[in-house]
Amino acid sequence: MTSVSSQVLESEQIDATNYTKALLNILDDFNIDRELQDSNNNAILNIFDDITDEKIQLEETQRAILNVLDDFDAERKIAEKSNADLVVVNESMRNFIGIASHDLRSPLASIMGFASVLAEKWTSYSEEDREFSVAAIFRQSQKLSSLVDDLFTLSSIESGGLSASPEPISLGLAIENCLDFGNLDRKSISVSCSEELLVLVDPNHLGRILDNYIQNAFKYGAPPVHVKAVLVNNFVQIRVMDSGAGVPPEFISKLFSKFARAQTSKTKSTKGAGLGLSIVRGLAEVNGGSTSYEQNFPNGSCFVVSLPALKRSIS
Amino acid sequence: MIVEDDEDIRSLIRMLFKKEPRFTVVGQVESAEEGLELANSVEVGLIVLDHGLTGDLTGLVAAPLLKLVVPEVKIILFTADPGLRSQAAAEVAIDGFLVKTEFSQLVPTALRVCNLQPLAV
Repeated sequence: MTSVSSQVLESEQIDATNYTKALLNILDDFNIDRELQDSNNNAILNIFDDITDEKIQLEETQRAILNVLDDFDAERKIAEKSNADLVVVNESMRNFIGIASHDLRSPLASIMGFASVLAEKWTSYSEEDREFSVAAIFRQSQKLSSLVDDLFTLSSIESGGLSASPEPISLGLAIENCLDFGNLDRKSISVSCSEELLVLVDPNHLGRILDNYIQNAFKYGAPPVHVKAVLVNNFVQIRVMDSGAGVPPEFISKLFSKFARAQTSKTKSTKGAGLGLSIVRGLAEVNGGSTSYEQNFPNGSCFVVSLPALKRSIS
Repeated sequence: MIVEDDEDIRSLIRMLFKKEPRFTVVGQVESAEEGLELANSVEVGLIVLDHGLTGDLTGLVAAPLLKLVVPEVKIILFTADPGLRSQAAAEVAIDGFLVKTEFSQLVPTALRVCNLQPLAV
């Protein structure tokens, strides 16, 4: 009995052991499966990581492309602006040549006309006619020469090739000199300028600026004309005021541009290429000064030029 | 009649016509507006007309107006601008066109538009 029982027990122990082994095997299998699973999971995670990296790279590439496109757009805008600027410059040059050639043609035609008539029929004209013709040739040559000088000055100003040789100048004396040479009616012009006022500018440029402003006051404005100079900070402000109709408001912004001529009864009845004020502005600027226009009260124009004052007159 | 805003050119035109006894300068003005006024008050057969003038009217614009005042008048557009030749040719009121460098042709052109023969020299 005992032996049977012992045999049964032994058999059961063997079964239990086998069972345990089977269980352990299953557990091992399970562990292997889990490791496989983990490995798969890791692979999937790696794939996700790779996808994320590629996504980041793709986004960077997209940003780079967008930046390149932005750069292209900016370049295109710059090129478009340059093109537009060139069109304006080209148009301005075309107008310049058109007007300049028109203004040059007129005195040239006169000179050719008188010269050809005299050359063909010198003896058939009276002494008086011949003298008049020669004088006319001289007058028209002066007109032509003055216009060529203006065009040359303007061209030098615009190309930045004009330089100033500033000198200390008594402004009062410069104004007096300008009036003396200007062949003007002194009764219709008054000057208020302290003898102490000294400017540091190129004397030729100052003469040209004063002459243009004062002659214009009579030519396009009306007497009485008043010239007033005052010290403002480090500059001497010179105002030339007339009692005419003034500049039409719509024309004020173009006043200092080249070939600018307002359509008024005064400009229609006087000849001029419209270069004077643009030259004045260029000369003032090359001497470190500036120009402007104000309406004169109660009527007329007031042209202003500010020029560097000499320190002695400041102190 | 001379319509010209340059005094020297006016004098030169006068000098040229002094040599041709069949023409007398009856008046000279600086603007087309003055020209229209003068054409009303004097007997005029030929107008030497500049294009760029003092005043609002150009020669090209003024030519048909002058013809309205004096229909039988002959008009020579006498200008410094050769570029106006085709416009002048298209304007029926203009009988002759001359550039100001061609002064020696002014009297011959005046004779032609007025149907006059040159005088025998």
